[in-house]
Amino acid sequence: MTAPTCLENPRLDVLHHLFASATHDASAAMCRWTDGLITLTLDEVREIPLEEVTEELNLGDELLTMVVLSLDGDIGGEMILTFDELNGRELAASLLGRPVGANPQWTELEKSALTETGNILGCAYVNAITRLIDHELVPSAPYFIQDFGASVLQQALMAQALTSDKVLICRTGFHKAGAELNWRVLFVPTAALRGAMENALHG
Amino acid sequence: MTTSTIAAAPAATQVGMGQTAVAQKPNRLTAVLGSCVGVVLHHPRLQVGALAHVVLPDSSGRAGAAAKFADSAVPHMLELLGKHGAFPSGMVAKLAGGSCMFGSGGPLQIGEANIKAATLALEAAGIKIVGRDLGGSCGRRIGFDPETGQVTVESVGLPPRVI
Repeated sequence: MTAPTCLENPRLDVLHHLFASATHDASAAMCRWTDGLITLTLDEVREIPLEEVTEELNLGDELLTMVVLSLDGDIGGEMILTFDELNGRELAASLLGRPVGANPQWTELEKSALTETGNILGCAYVNAITRLIDHELVPSAPYFIQDFGASVLQQALMAQALTSDKVLICRTGFHKAGAELNWRVLFVPTAALRGAMENALHG
Repeated sequence: MTTSTIAAAPAATQVGMGQTAVAQKPNRLTAVLGSCVGVVLHHPRLQVGALAHVVLPDSSGRAGAAAKFADSAVPHMLELLGKHGAFPSGMVAKLAGGSCMFGSGGPLQIGEANIKAATLALEAAGIKIVGRDLGGSCGRRIGFDPETGQVTVESVGLPPRVI
């Protein structure tokens, strides 16, 4: 399930273990939701300078379809599920048992299918982290956004940027019948949540 | 990180978070902004300009890339442009960005704080702000042309604007 990764220090090693476990749970939830179609792998956990994030994640000025869940409070963060237009459309069509819609505007039903996917995935991650840190994390209702991926990521990164020049990146791969999909999960914990995760695993 | 596109540069350089770039015609500078603010300084006579992608309002003495913070970005841009013979007396400024991407709730209104801090930094430097496309809840893709001084602003679902 989890691919090898290059870790730079023991703190990241700790976080890698946590996210590997959370990704396993999320993958199981995703597999059930999509009737065995989609699975996840944790490909990498590392820290990079803030200035390199956009390039590193290859976000460029790409327009993306996203589902955002916020974890409110000091021990909180943001979780963002991103798709390109085609992948998002295909997932919605698959879940609804319909052909891919030709209308450039997303219908409420299509948005709902994607939002529910974000909810299922986000809750699987949040439940795994909650169990570990013994602190209840309450995600907001997920919401649907179409915008520049880099714009949304900037806002999510602010909580980390306020206190650090580096940000934590967990790279997750999505797979359909062995082929990689252009989906991503961007999970940006606050400094307090990150500290709680590290402490829980060290303890 | 600071990049300069004065010599042998591609036509358009993407300026990432916390970065500054200087360009002269025919080169252009671009950035994608959410809560960050893009600060453009332009010297119309010399047709040279700079773009800083400001992430946070205040460095509070913190080390790091100068363009990451509004208060340190403007002096840094002036220093870079000064090396190309462009001085503040001949410059104008434009600002874009500062959105609140996740709605208006919550105590961390970083976009709004970035707008205020960038405005104050430009006022302190005595540079007039001649164009603004700020706030709201949408991302922006901007392109700065140092030949004309025009900054094009694109947002999802809206027609492109020029400031």
